Amino acid sequence: MKKFAYFPGCSLEKLALSYNNSSVETSRMLGVELQELEDWNCCGATTYFHVDQLLAYTLVARNLAMAEKEGLDLVAPCSACYKNAYFTNKYIKEDADLAEHINYALEEDDLQFRGKINVHHVIEVYANEIGVEEVAAKVTNPLEGLRVAPYYGCQIVRPKHNGMDSENPQFFEALVSAMGAEAVDFPERLRCCGGSLIMTSRHAALDMVRTLLQSAVDCGTDVIATACPLCQVNLECYQLQVNDEFGTNFKLPVLYFTQLLGLAMGLPPKKIGIGSELVSAAPFFKKYLSKQVS
Amino acid sequence: MATKPTFSQEISNLLYASHGKPLKTCIQCGTCSGSCPVVDFMDQTPRRLIGMINADLKEDVLDCNTYWFCASCYQCTVRCPAQIDIADVMYAVKRYSIWHKTYRDDLVGPTFSETFVKTIVRSGRSYEPLLAPTYMFSMGIKEVLQEAHMATQMMLKGRMPVLPTKIKRLDNFKNMIRRIIPMGGAK
Amino acid sequence: MAQTRLLIIDDDPDYVDGIKAILEKADYHVDAVYNPKDGFAALAAQPYDLILLDIMMGRGAEGVMVARKLNKDPVLRNLPVLIITGIREQMAFLFPGQPVHPRILPTDELLEKPVDPKLLLEKVDALLKEAAAKKASGEQE
Repeated sequence: MKKFAYFPGCSLEKLALSYNNSSVETSRMLGVELQELEDWNCCGATTYFHVDQLLAYTLVARNLAMAEKEGLDLVAPCSACYKNAYFTNKYIKEDADLAEHINYALEEDDLQFRGKINVHHVIEVYANEIGVEEVAAKVTNPLEGLRVAPYYGCQIVRPKHNGMDSENPQFFEALVSAMGAEAVDFPERLRCCGGSLIMTSRHAALDMVRTLLQSAVDCGTDVIATACPLCQVNLECYQLQVNDEFGTNFKLPVLYFTQLLGLAMGLPPKKIGIGSELVSAAPFFKKYLSKQVS
Repeated sequence: MATKPTFSQEISNLLYASHGKPLKTCIQCGTCSGSCPVVDFMDQTPRRLIGMINADLKEDVLDCNTYWFCASCYQCTVRCPAQIDIADVMYAVKRYSIWHKTYRDDLVGPTFSETFVKTIVRSGRSYEPLLAPTYMFSMGIKEVLQEAHMATQMMLKGRMPVLPTKIKRLDNFKNMIRRIIPMGGAK
Repeated sequence: MAQTRLLIIDDDPDYVDGIKAILEKADYHVDAVYNPKDGFAALAAQPYDLILLDIMMGRGAEGVMVARKLNKDPVLRNLPVLIITGIREQMAFLFPGQPVHPRILPTDELLEKPVDPKLLLEKVDALLKEAAAKKASGEQE
C-alpha cells in the first residue's frame, strides 16, 4: 500500500470535515494510506506571507520536516496549504542560506529538514500517482448522466509547478470522466473564487462567486466539484448571500471531488460527509444512492 | 556605493530575493489587468500600480486599495510575458504598508492578516471564529445578519469549530518562532 | 591614519540618511546598502571595521539571518555589528508590549530606533575599541 504523510490543514478539522473524511476513505479504496502528520501546525494560508515570508517558510518547514522524518512525501488536500508546502519545499531546496536559517529555528522542536521529500495535492495523487485508469477501475456506481463542473480554482495550477499546464489543464476533467460522470465545459473553471477576500473585501468576493455560479449554471451544471475547502465554502455557503446581494436564485450543490468519487465507488454517503452541505445535492443523487450495494 | 533609493528601488529591495524578474522590466502590456478577477474593485489596475511604482508615485501607490484586494490567485504571475511575479509584488507592497503603517484605516485586510498570524503564533492552528471581529466591524446590519444566519446553519451541520485547537509541542513551536522573529522575551 | 570604515545595511532610506550624517560628522567613512544581498557584495568588495544592521528587510526579519551568516564566516565574524532596529514597532501587533531579544545571537550590541545620536556614537566607538583590543590581544598570542 502506498503511503503518504497527510497534512489536512486547519479548515479540514471542522469546516471541511467532509473533505477530510472523503479524502481518507477514497484514498484507502484506491490503495493509498494517508497517515496524518502528528502535531501538524497551520501553514499560514494566503494571508500572511506578506507580513513575514521567513516566518511563513518556517511554519511550513516544520510540517515538511515531520513528514521527512517519517520518510514520506507530503500530501495536502487544501490548495493553499499545497501551494505553500510545494513552494517552501522548492525554495528551501534551492537556497542553502534559507535552509540553514530555517533549520536553526527547527532545532527548537528537534527537527531538521534536508529537502528529501516531494509535495503533492490529493488530486495530483489521484491523477498522477495512482492514475485515472486505476481510479476508473475502482468505480462501481458510475455517476452516469451527472453533469459535473470541474472547478480547479487557482492554487492547484498556479503558480506553475510540476510542469503543470496552468492555462488548459485536463486532469480534473479526466477524473470526473473516470467517475462515469460528464465533465461539463466550464469556462470559468480556472477563475479565482475570491479566497479570503470573502472576509476582507466582501463585496468583491461575492461578485466573484456570482460570476462563477452563473458560468456553471450557463453550461448546464448539476454539481460543482472542488478540490479546496476555501473554494467549497465560498461557492456553497455564500450562495445564499450572493442570492441576497444580487437578487439571483442559485441553488447549485458544491461537493468535494473526493465525495463524488466516493459515491461512484459505492462508499456510504455518511462516511464521505454527504449530508453536511448547506445546498443539498440529494435531488441529483437519489438515483445513484439507490444503486448502492451495502 | 549605492545611492539613496527611490520608492521603486525600495520596493525592489523588498523583493531582492524574489523569483520573478525586476519590476523595471514591465512593458505595460496590461495582461495582468486583463487577467485579474478582482480588477473591477481596485482603485488602480495591477498594470497601473506597477507603472506608478516605477514612476515613484509613492503616496498614490500606498493610498490605493489594489494590493490589499489582491486575492493571490497568481493568474497575473503565470501570464506575465516579462516574467514578473506580480502577486509577490503585491505582497511586498503589503509588507511595506504594514512595516511603515501606511495602510488605509478603512481596509479590513491589514487587521485580518495581523489577527491571523497572531492566532497561529499563539496556538499553532488557525481558528475561524477569532477572525470574525476583524471584518464584522466593517459590515452593515444586513451583512452581519447574513453572517450570523450562515454561521448558525454551519453550526447545525457540525461545520463550525466550537473550541480553538492547539498543537501539542506549543512551547517548542513558540521558541522556533522566536528564532525567526527575535521578540517575545529571551528564553 | 586611514579613516574608520562603517557599513550600514538598512532598507529605510530616510533613516539611513539620518545616521549616515551623524556618523560622517564624527569623521567616519560611511557606506550604505539597502538589502542583505548588496550588503554581502559590499563586504566582499572592500574591508569594513563595523557594520550597522537593520532587522526587518526583504522577506522579513532578515537581519537575524545576516547576523548569523556573518558569524559563520571565518573572517567576517571578527567584525563588530551594531543592530539598530524598529522591530518592536513593526511587529507590535504580533508581540504587543514584549521586548526585543537583547542580544541577537552572535551580535555585539543592539539599539532600538529611534536612536539618540550621542548614544549611537558612544556605542560605535566602544565596539570599535573592543574589537581593536581583541585583535591586539589575538596578535600578541
